[in-house]
Amino acid sequence: MTKICCIVFSTLFLFTCAISAHAGDLDSFKGQKGTLKIAGGTAHIPVMKEAAKLIMQANPDLRITIAGGGSGVGIKQVGEGLIDIGNAGRKATDKEVSTYGLTMYKWAVDGVGVVVNPKNTVTKLTTAQLQDIFSGKISNWKELGGADRAINLYDRDAASGTRSVFWKKGLQKANVSTTANIVASNGAMKTAIAGDPYGIGFVSVGHIDASIAPVTLDGIAPSLENVKSGAFKVSRGLYSLTKGEAQGLAKLFIDFIFSPTGQDLVKAKGFVAVQ
Amino acid sequence: MNRATERGLTLLCWLCGLLPLAILCIVICYLLVRGGSSLNLALIFDRVPAMDALLGHQQVFDGLFPALCGTTMLVLLTLALALIPGLCGGIYLAEYASPLERRILGLLFDIIAGLPSIVIGLAGFSLSILLHRLFPGRFGPCMLLSAMALAFLILPYLVRSTQAALNSIPQSLRITGPALGASKLQNILLVLLPSRIQDIIGGIILAIGRAAEDTAVIMLTGAVASAGMFRSLLDQYEALPFYIYYISSQYTDAEELQRGFGAALVLFTLCGLIFLLALLVEQGFSRRWKR
Amino acid sequence: MAMGSGLLLIAILCMMAVLGWPLVENGRFFALFSTTWSPHAQAYGILPMILGSLRITVLALLFSLPMSIGTACLAELLAPRPLRRLLLVTIRFMAGVPTVVYGFVAVFLLVPLMREYLIFGSGFSILTASLVLAVLIAPTMIIFFVNGLQSVPRSYCHAVDSLGARPMQKLIYLLLPQAYPSLLIGVILGLGRAMGDTLISLMLAGNSVALPESVAESGRTLTAHIALVIAADFSSMEFTTIFACGLILSLFTVCLIVSIRLLDRFGTRGAQHREMSTESRP
Repeated sequence: MTKICCIVFSTLFLFTCAISAHAGDLDSFKGQKGTLKIAGGTAHIPVMKEAAKLIMQANPDLRITIAGGGSGVGIKQVGEGLIDIGNAGRKATDKEVSTYGLTMYKWAVDGVGVVVNPKNTVTKLTTAQLQDIFSGKISNWKELGGADRAINLYDRDAASGTRSVFWKKGLQKANVSTTANIVASNGAMKTAIAGDPYGIGFVSVGHIDASIAPVTLDGIAPSLENVKSGAFKVSRGLYSLTKGEAQGLAKLFIDFIFSPTGQDLVKAKGFVAVQ
Repeated sequence: MNRATERGLTLLCWLCGLLPLAILCIVICYLLVRGGSSLNLALIFDRVPAMDALLGHQQVFDGLFPALCGTTMLVLLTLALALIPGLCGGIYLAEYASPLERRILGLLFDIIAGLPSIVIGLAGFSLSILLHRLFPGRFGPCMLLSAMALAFLILPYLVRSTQAALNSIPQSLRITGPALGASKLQNILLVLLPSRIQDIIGGIILAIGRAAEDTAVIMLTGAVASAGMFRSLLDQYEALPFYIYYISSQYTDAEELQRGFGAALVLFTLCGLIFLLALLVEQGFSRRWKR
Repeated sequence: MAMGSGLLLIAILCMMAVLGWPLVENGRFFALFSTTWSPHAQAYGILPMILGSLRITVLALLFSLPMSIGTACLAELLAPRPLRRLLLVTIRFMAGVPTVVYGFVAVFLLVPLMREYLIFGSGFSILTASLVLAVLIAPTMIIFFVNGLQSVPRSYCHAVDSLGARPMQKLIYLLLPQAYPSLLIGVILGLGRAMGDTLISLMLAGNSVALPESVAESGRTLTAHIALVIAADFSSMEFTTIFACGLILSLFTVCLIVSIRLLDRFGTRGAQHREMSTESRP
């Protein structure tokens, strides 16, 4: 038992070391104090959490709090000054930028892929089929060559940036049935699809793992490579926003995300780094 | 009513009556089976040595420790805010208020007790925005705000349990003090309150249970998914009930889900312990009274 | 102090009214009671949530009522003495079990069962939520029912016993009719608790904004709506609508409590119920 523990611990230790390879990136946080509040886009959370962990480990005097809510919430709250950094999985609209005087920092590229449960035999869809599924016209998996079970739609709330990108680029602005179940984040979408053999939904490509199966859309799989090459069209940037130019801790944090360590984190969490 | 119907009804009663017990058993067994294996120090402290975490030398990230600390602090703060007004309110209602006052205030407290907790959370949230508008500094949803909202939530419990405890004092005891020349306040503080102290403590413990388990209030007033160790009253924080809710809807891997089950088991046990404590206090009380 | 908290309550209600005012001003208040919630299209109808709340509440009450009455009868009359005690203590313990734990267990245990065997949907539905809610509100109701049964005068009981009535006859012809007012109060409190609960419906009901056509479909309640729509400023429509939701819930509570008070005046043992009513928070 102790042996196993030792092995596990040392591997974990090595893993931690691997992420913080470029140790110099954390130097700028030395001597800093205070609290940084981050909220908004839920696709960003894994990267934010890991970055916060690294920073707080390097400097225990700092506190970084991370909340979800969705891109709309992130933009509004940072605009109102309730938080320091607002995350968004879509571009802020011109109106939002001008009302609040926001600055956008794009630190990763991501796609929004359609996903089903791995047990589902349907793995290919066309845009037309997708539109019919989400508008409720196709309501049984049988019509798509799957099991004779009703399709369970999963949708996100209106504040979601993932949803607005998916709706615009994936569904081509087609209607979405209001009977869909609503979940609150990318993580929740993944959980729901992983638990529902007859469900269909959409998540940030960075969140796709073995528990859910990506669906090929018009012949192109929602993979990191395809997002990178531009072949997969339903893609978007991941943004962090600040009110005015980023200052103080917020600036240090965003600089850290753009540093080699930060960008390694972005890659490790399944997104396309920008640098 | 013939015998057969009667038998049928009795059977139905037994079935229905044992249903809650069965459900409770299922819940406990399921939690134990799924979460029992994850119950160890690593669940709470991750890989950080327990002493280091407790003394604050090292921070815990992938464990329940920050959430546990957050909940503990929150409950203590809530109690600090609600205890005195709650007790005073109860004493006032039981001993000083006129019948009319008692009726009106009683109605108000009943309404507060019946308000959905999310409404109280919403009120707290809008208070934070209001304060943010008035003092555009660093005031937003935070632990102090949550504690204030929770204090408002448990206030009626405290008032009502204190009032009930005082009302149940037999008339003979009530008039003994004044007969010996004690003033009204002396009588309340030195005779009446001590005679029912266990009832009052029981009420306080149950109110603590309420504050510890509530999720709806804190999700609107400052609990967040990740905040590290609790440090200041004006910061957002992690709390156990919110952590469970968060995990249930968006765990990312099996390990995190396992921690969720562990957390649910921990919260369940905590509330069970609080209940047991209240029960013991109450038992001690009734034994003393019989003597 | 008591005055202070009373004033605080009034202040909160006023604040809600003031913050919800822009709705009335814009003439959009009545638009609130439309059936579409679609912020993209500037439609902010909360009727589906109101109906969702009502459905879940009524269903939960239907499931919970037989269970509660059965348990109360068992605990007061039918069970052997040691079991009665055990039953009562367990019920009181159940009243303190965290809501979020019920929700958590249901998400991983009940939802897959519902999906596979009962309703052939996603498993997240009004029915699922109301089943769990029934368990949640049962302790409140049981405690009241037991109190009601206990408050039937002993002399009546002795009279019935001496006539040689069997327990079931005693229950049907004496206890239940006599305890009727407190049974009703228990039901009303259960109703309030079910209506005000957030976590269960948020975690289990599916949260879709459509008008649900059957109970096997996904639906959203007022409370879950407040939790889901996070707003950041007073001016946005989202914010005013969640205030409208809060206002509706508060008014509902006020109505319930006042009706309990009125019932209480007709009932015999007023003081007892009033003491107990703090057990009633959702």
